[in-house]
Amino acid sequence: MIQASVSKRSSRMSRRDPTSPWRHLDPVILACTAALSIIGVVMVYSATRGPGPDYQNTYLFKQATFVIIGAGVLALFTIVDYQKLHDWAWVLYAITNVMLLLVISPLGTQSNGAQAWFAVGPFQLQPAEFAKLSLIAVLAFLLSEFRGDIDVRRTIALLGVSAFPMVLILLQPDLGLVLILTVIMMAMLLIGGLPTRYIVVLTIVGVVGVVGALNSPVIKQYQQDRLTAFANPDDRSNPAVYNIAQSRLAIGNGQLTGQGLFSGAQTRLGTVPEQQTDFIFTAVAEQFGFIGAGLMLLIYAVLCHRIWRTARIARDQFGTLLCVGVLAVLLFSIFENVGMAMGIMPVTGIPLLLLSAGGSSTITTFAAIGLVLNVHMRRFR
Amino acid sequence: MDTASPRIRMSVLGVLVVACFVALFARLWYLQIMEAPTLVEQASAQTRRTLSVEAPRGRILDANGKILVDNRTSLVVEVDRTVFAKVKNKDAYESAIADVLTRFGAPIKTATVQRRLSAPQSEQLRGAPVASDVSQEVMVYLSEHSADFPGVSVTRQSMRVYPYGMAAANVLGYVGHITADGLKTLTAGTDPETGATKTYGSDSIVGLAGIEATYEQDLRGTPGVETIEVDSKGRPVRRVDYAAPKPGSDVQLHLDIDVQMRAEQALRDKLDVLRGSPQRDGTIRRAPAGSVVALNPVDGGVIALATYPTFDPAEFAGGISQDRYNELLNQNGVSALVDRSISGQYAPGSTFKLVTATAAIENGLINGNTYYDDEGVYKVGNPPREFSNAGGVKNGGIALPQALTVSSDVYFYWLGDRMDGTTHIQDAASAYGLNARTGIDLPNESAGYVWTAADKKALHQKYPKQYPDGDWFTGDNVQLAVGQYVITATPIQIARAYAAFANGGTVYQPHVAWRVLRANTLPTEEGGILRTIDPVVVRTVSLPPEVRDPIVQGLAGVTTGLGTAASAFVGFDQSTFKVVGKTGTAQVQGKADTSLFASYAPLGAPRYAVAAVMEESGFGAEASGEVVRHVYELLAQQPLTEVSSATQGTRD
Repeated sequence: MIQASVSKRSSRMSRRDPTSPWRHLDPVILACTAALSIIGVVMVYSATRGPGPDYQNTYLFKQATFVIIGAGVLALFTIVDYQKLHDWAWVLYAITNVMLLLVISPLGTQSNGAQAWFAVGPFQLQPAEFAKLSLIAVLAFLLSEFRGDIDVRRTIALLGVSAFPMVLILLQPDLGLVLILTVIMMAMLLIGGLPTRYIVVLTIVGVVGVVGALNSPVIKQYQQDRLTAFANPDDRSNPAVYNIAQSRLAIGNGQLTGQGLFSGAQTRLGTVPEQQTDFIFTAVAEQFGFIGAGLMLLIYAVLCHRIWRTARIARDQFGTLLCVGVLAVLLFSIFENVGMAMGIMPVTGIPLLLLSAGGSSTITTFAAIGLVLNVHMRRFR
Repeated sequence: MDTASPRIRMSVLGVLVVACFVALFARLWYLQIMEAPTLVEQASAQTRRTLSVEAPRGRILDANGKILVDNRTSLVVEVDRTVFAKVKNKDAYESAIADVLTRFGAPIKTATVQRRLSAPQSEQLRGAPVASDVSQEVMVYLSEHSADFPGVSVTRQSMRVYPYGMAAANVLGYVGHITADGLKTLTAGTDPETGATKTYGSDSIVGLAGIEATYEQDLRGTPGVETIEVDSKGRPVRRVDYAAPKPGSDVQLHLDIDVQMRAEQALRDKLDVLRGSPQRDGTIRRAPAGSVVALNPVDGGVIALATYPTFDPAEFAGGISQDRYNELLNQNGVSALVDRSISGQYAPGSTFKLVTATAAIENGLINGNTYYDDEGVYKVGNPPREFSNAGGVKNGGIALPQALTVSSDVYFYWLGDRMDGTTHIQDAASAYGLNARTGIDLPNESAGYVWTAADKKALHQKYPKQYPDGDWFTGDNVQLAVGQYVITATPIQIARAYAAFANGGTVYQPHVAWRVLRANTLPTEEGGILRTIDPVVVRTVSLPPEVRDPIVQGLAGVTTGLGTAASAFVGFDQSTFKVVGKTGTAQVQGKADTSLFASYAPLGAPRYAVAAVMEESGFGAEASGEVVRHVYELLAQQPLTEVSSATQGTRD
């Protein structure tokens, strides 16, 4: 059997150009992405159609549109050799930061207390989402150039490059995205060869910084409430506690096998606030239960594994670092978002990538996965 | 270059990935498997509401199965409160509803609509009722124009209907919304089949008076339960589950509606005739109120229980206004909502002589042949205080039977004098069931009152100023002997005393209700009778022949010949239906006399005990005697005669 499969594989690879990138497209990543984004569209619909009988499908069409656009972006980011990104990383970084500057100018629009969007027709563009991608690109570029030879000066340069967009995003403010960028930076510095002692120091500084920030006026009261809600689930004066409680009820109501699609009472009746975005996981958990939600987490796990694997087998360090950055974004989004819904992580506005409704984050995620596919299929050239 | 190789760091990252997912799976397991039972319960409590659906009440039937209280379906216009809350121009909305109702024959003011829509209601999920009993056209119009009337719906609700109008209103009672007190204190009945509790809600309709109140536990239906789903803002979304309400059990009465209506009509007509006319001593009769009681002496069943003035229970069916209610409380100075037959307390006058006579013979003071010379006046004490017969009539030497027939007060003054210092009369009164509530199955009964020497003393000691005399004088006992001054009784007590005498001494607890029937089932069907209310013997009066016979002889003479009520029974054939009774005329300071007549019939095998009491109406025979005669006409199946226009009858 093994013999046969190996020979079959080699015979196929020998056909025409064995190094053609298209032969090495990872179908698993593609399948996982497709599956999750379809689940996402259905879940967004189930969370927003309303109790009936007049069902709303605005969100359904919007999210489906984003997925279709996302598929195009994914194709683009797969087709164009990622080495081009190596050359264009700074340009991307610069454009993103200009957009971040513009968005906090009067050109941007405000919503939910954050100045984070450009109104483009019926859609709202959130440049901070793109900052994830540009930070990954620019850090991958820098770290691959440094080739593991990092001293204090370079460390400061890396931190500075990371900190600039973070500060701009903090001004909006969007704490969740700053958190994500921090995680991207940490993961890439780790794999990018930052000396262990620097990592220890950075970690200590980071922990002290977070604790300090929580107790300083930089973090607003409502942000503090959200961050600490999961630790004090009985504090009724904290509005975030309500969200977590509703989220728990919806998840628990799913039990082992779930209430069935469109049959979950909490989802249908809209008892979970922000269900189509931050709390989309509750829709999955209530309607499909432990089996369904578990399977979905498994798909995410497989996707994470494939990205991790791609990082390991990448042709060059630039590719590895790109994949690590994407992995960091995805893993953190899953763990923080699903963990928040289940009450083991603080409440932050971090969407569950590929599932939550939202144009900018969906498209950015497709682009990021396109990069990973890109790295994977060009690993022999 | 650092010692940490990139491969090891990649592995660290891989371990981190695995750890994250393991943590998520563990937590998911905990929430959806371990904690699920609790969370499911809380989730359902949040999205589901149960509403109680009122069931139709059981019917009330008379002894012959005629339906006295039934249900009908009323079309009620309701407005969804959550929709109304969102209406921008509330004034226009309200006046549009008022316009439609007025146009289709249910005139209503916009202000009334406004008031009803703003009336507080505990159950926000239920519509606010705006108008009941609207026509079919209103329903059709509103459903065709539903777009113009958002949130307005027409629902069917069960309402009480009274085929005999105002007849027996005091017995049947009325229904209305449960009070806050009632919600706390009412004991809910149980469903006869399932044993389910007939729970109450704040919008429940309950019996507030009469049989409706007494047999509330039987009449109330088993509420249905509607489970609806609500969204996160508490708005109803859809019905999840529905258990239909079950109608309550029917209650069949001993009451005969024909006899009841006959009694009511005779009472009303005679009061109308008497009102405004002078009685013998010139006092003008106001004749404001009265009552008639007809009992079955064999089992204590109530055949008729008439009171005047009375009310129309239908006025309560759709909710009564406070103004109208106040009006009913004051009808020419008396309340139409008081059932005088069970709560009116009157001096029994000469009808009490039954008790005095029983006491005198039983205690060996006299027998049926003990004569006393009635000179028209009886003197007591020194200086003597005079007590005289009505009109100062002299009856000469008479024994007990004649004394009863012609109603000699002097003979009974003499007996009262001889029994002074004893409690013989009070004891006999208690034996006949006076001085205590009869326990009839209707609310708000009075107990009447028979004064004793001990009570008088205690009262004086407690309130020396208001009651300056603490001693029991012979004069007190003399007045007691003729049922005056120190004694009151209710019409039902008087009728029951005569019923007890008629049946040989058994004092029953009177019962209006006979039995409880399964809803929509005939009593002849298997399981049709859920429960029969058995006669209850309260006590017995010892009536050996030496006690009973002379009294029967005396009372039998009352309706014929020289008897005080002879004039009232002129033309009534007593050959096969002999009426045995006693007139009573109780003096009331500054007013016309209370007219009483208490009786039973027929003589040999008594089936009926009938008593009437009429306020400020004159002598016993000229008012009450005649009313009772009209009732007997129906009971004896004799020609029914009109109430006579005569205002003067035999004395006493």
